[in-house]
Amino acid sequence: MLRSFKFFAFLSVCIPLLTTTALAQDDGLKLTGWPYEVDVVTENLGRFTDQTGHGAVFLPFPSNEYHDKMVASFVAGTEFDVAYVRDSYLAEWASAGWILPITGLPNSEELLADLPQGIIEQMSYDGEVYGLPYYSGVQTMAYNAAHLAAAGIDAPPETWAEMLEQAQAIKDAGVVDYPILMQLRSGENYLLREWETLTASRGGRLFDDDFNPVFHLEDSPARQALDWLTEGLDAGLIDPASLTDDDGTLLMAAGTTSFMTTTDYTLKAMNDPEQSNVAGDIKNGLVPGTDEVRSGTWGYVRLYAITANAEDKDAAWQLVQFLGGKDATGVYYVPKRWALEFGLGFSPAPLYEDEEVRNSISGWIDPDLLSEQSEYAISRPYRFVPFFSDWEIGSWGPLQAAILGDADKGEVLNDLAEEWNELKEDWGY
Amino acid sequence: MKQRARIRLVIIYVAAAMLLAGTVGPFLWLVSSSFQYERQLLNRPPQWLPNPIVLDSYREIFEGAVMGEDSGVPYQSRIFLRSFANSFFVAGSVAVIAVMAGAYAAYPLARLRFRGRQVLLFAILASRLIPALSLAIPIVLVAKRIGMSDKIVSLVFINLSFILPYVIWLLQSYFKTIPMELEDAGRIDGCSRLQVVHKIILPLSLPGLTSAAILAFLLTWGEFLFALLLSESPSSYTSTVVVSLFATDVDVSFVSIITAGVLSVIPPICFALIFQRYIISGLLSGSLKG
Amino acid sequence: MQSRIATPRKEMSQGALALIFSAPAVLIIAATILVPFGMAVFLSLHNWNLKRPGRERFIGLENYTDWLRDSDFWDPLGTTFTFAILAVVVIIIVSLLISLLLNERFPGRGVLRALLLVPWAIPSVVNALLWKWLLNPQYGLVNAIFFEFGIITEYQNMLGSMPSVMIWLVIAYSWIHIPLATLLLLSGLQTIPGDIYESAIVDGAGIWQRFLTITLPLLRPMLSIVVIFEMIFALKVFDIIFVLTAGGPADATNVLGWQIYTETFRKLDFGAGSSIAMLLGAITLALAILFYVFLDKGVEQ
Repeated sequence: MLRSFKFFAFLSVCIPLLTTTALAQDDGLKLTGWPYEVDVVTENLGRFTDQTGHGAVFLPFPSNEYHDKMVASFVAGTEFDVAYVRDSYLAEWASAGWILPITGLPNSEELLADLPQGIIEQMSYDGEVYGLPYYSGVQTMAYNAAHLAAAGIDAPPETWAEMLEQAQAIKDAGVVDYPILMQLRSGENYLLREWETLTASRGGRLFDDDFNPVFHLEDSPARQALDWLTEGLDAGLIDPASLTDDDGTLLMAAGTTSFMTTTDYTLKAMNDPEQSNVAGDIKNGLVPGTDEVRSGTWGYVRLYAITANAEDKDAAWQLVQFLGGKDATGVYYVPKRWALEFGLGFSPAPLYEDEEVRNSISGWIDPDLLSEQSEYAISRPYRFVPFFSDWEIGSWGPLQAAILGDADKGEVLNDLAEEWNELKEDWGY
Repeated sequence: MKQRARIRLVIIYVAAAMLLAGTVGPFLWLVSSSFQYERQLLNRPPQWLPNPIVLDSYREIFEGAVMGEDSGVPYQSRIFLRSFANSFFVAGSVAVIAVMAGAYAAYPLARLRFRGRQVLLFAILASRLIPALSLAIPIVLVAKRIGMSDKIVSLVFINLSFILPYVIWLLQSYFKTIPMELEDAGRIDGCSRLQVVHKIILPLSLPGLTSAAILAFLLTWGEFLFALLLSESPSSYTSTVVVSLFATDVDVSFVSIITAGVLSVIPPICFALIFQRYIISGLLSGSLKG
Repeated sequence: MQSRIATPRKEMSQGALALIFSAPAVLIIAATILVPFGMAVFLSLHNWNLKRPGRERFIGLENYTDWLRDSDFWDPLGTTFTFAILAVVVIIIVSLLISLLLNERFPGRGVLRALLLVPWAIPSVVNALLWKWLLNPQYGLVNAIFFEFGIITEYQNMLGSMPSVMIWLVIAYSWIHIPLATLLLLSGLQTIPGDIYESAIVDGAGIWQRFLTITLPLLRPMLSIVVIFEMIFALKVFDIIFVLTAGGPADATNVLGWQIYTETFRKLDFGAGSSIAMLLGAITLALAILFYVFLDKGVEQ
């Protein structure tokens, strides 16, 4: 026993001594983010160093825990200079004072002028812009064209009612058990976003421009959306897994789902023969609407922001410009690279006309339909108030209960509206 | 009698087979999946056995570890095996220190009469009663203030402080089972308390000490929250952090995660295999006779 | 410090000895935990929301009284208890059976003991993925197996509704935790001298009788430790909820651990998050003391 112990004690001390690489990084800028294509990011940073003389390293952290990791880092005062930010917690980080506005910094006006207003809104908090886009896009519809064909349907649904009809036909034809997947799980990436898609595509919104709730009003599109979900679930057309599943992309790729609404880039995985059993069958279509409304949706942005802990703020801004805007030669080098080689959605206007970029994504998504879809995107300013997440977290349980028919929809919606109003008053909005 | 022994063995092996199916079965699915293509994981009915056998994820991890950036494999695969060194250092140190410090702390709790014994016992446990999540940010904050963040030594301390309470509780309970007469005999022979611990208590507690060491090693090996929150650069990532790096926001490399998971299981199981032979009975009955 | 040979006659008091013996462990724990623990207590007495910098203030026990009047505390508490009771019962029964099996002598026992630890050795990220895959309603293995054996006629969504979601959470959680409990119970079984069994067999006691009159009473100290440990673990459950259900559907699996996480890391309300954690800690402590007094009583004699 003792000998084994000594052996292990010896090993456990020696191994790290032998393998520990030089810990002291040079005093470059520190960029934190989720670990998508780490080597490409590092390569880009090399170009930045060549052009500006500032050293820069990329420190990737797990994507799922990125938010929590960064919260801890901000509170502890860790010296990260530039950070990836998801628009879903932009307001939170800005209100806590963890990221800095770029409004008024040199070149910012010129760079922002190239961006669509909707994107700028989604990078703003309290009237100031907090960064430049990494990638962006819209929620769109994905459908399995082979399933539709097998049920004798030649075009994807244009209205939500039609989607249920087509789903019924697909189910009746025995193609799949549950043709529609809706992402209704608890969590900021699921339920509320799906509800927003369903509401926007019915011509509605959850809140008005003064941040007053409108979702609870009689016959509001938001309420119709919930009714539609209940109808689909009861009819066995919407997959009951919708309430718990956290990765609809996989169900599409498995070929067990015919319709879902999804972020544009997920179509790439769905149509990748290595990752998907139905590669090539998945098409993007416009989000369905109603007889009056064509196809509302909303957009998302991932952005680069300067953190409040950054030591050299000028250098950090240079890095943000390089990553999200133009490099020293005046071209959108990094955004174009992401778009061209990896199919990530881009925002700067000059890239829309870029033939190369258009061609590269058409292998897995229809670029024309996608750009038409983005025209229907509505803005969601209510998401950029600091108490939105507080309200959202409390909404998941009651909304699920309402959708499942365990609770009265009207009551749930009124309660949620009341909770919002209390928060709103409390925060002085 | 021979007949009975044979029946006994049959019953044991049937039970053991059921046990294996229950515990290792799901793991075998992980192993099988690690040799498949990503899309095959989505097959319905499931693809039970790999066909063909795909070695890519293993090749990437091993090639990446050996050749580094020249291998051209993704970053996560390259640094995965290297992060084993950190995990091994932390888990190994915690196992060794926790058992040593824990044994000395457990002895008085089991054997000595002093005021505040029960209070001490529960005070030790106190830090384990609230979820680590609520201590997480304060711990990160303190570590940063005293210059201990991004150091794997800090992980040793944090894991120790989380695991020592369990080890102490476990060992004090174990020590209580050693008959007092043995200790008294030693004392009459002129042993000091320290000698009693070294010569009587510890040797007779081998199964308990071993369980404590395995517990400490496994809990630390799998620790994720603090390994993530205290690291500020890849040099201090443990293997659990690197495993979760395979999800990238845009895509998830499931087969790589699974392969990394399969490989992660090997060190703690080896540790357990080496030490479990000390979980043996008969120590006490022998010593009582002698 | 000078090294000095202690003699049995001139020895310090037991209290002083206890202090010296436990010093290294206590110092490690105190040095690491004391300040953060104090900070958590401090936060729980304050209005402290990171999204509203500059508005922190001392509010005494208000956070606590707010929670105690709020169904957002009591409902998750009930769910937590349901989960913990089910999980602890399942873990104790199953691991007791397994440890009895592994305590028998038979060829291959050592390997089996080590393999038993596999579920526990899988990193939590992978474990989460494993269960997500096993329970998937479309391509999941549990569905496939049940379907093959005719237990179900069509694929089910195990996590979609009560009570099946709770049952499967308990199964997944227990699968991961049984190895720990078994390991400890097994080491406890080693303390039972074999000659006691031999004399019992001579007296004609059957298996069941031997289990009740010898194994169970003598295993009691370790059993009580395992019950206390598993109870502490189960009351704090978070990881598996985080991955498999996120508290849903319709709050059916909203446990206190999840509530603490959302308050702290999602709402950034450190005051509310810390105070609910303290409440959970107090409840756990009370239960641990209760179990200790109740289960460990016989051991002291």
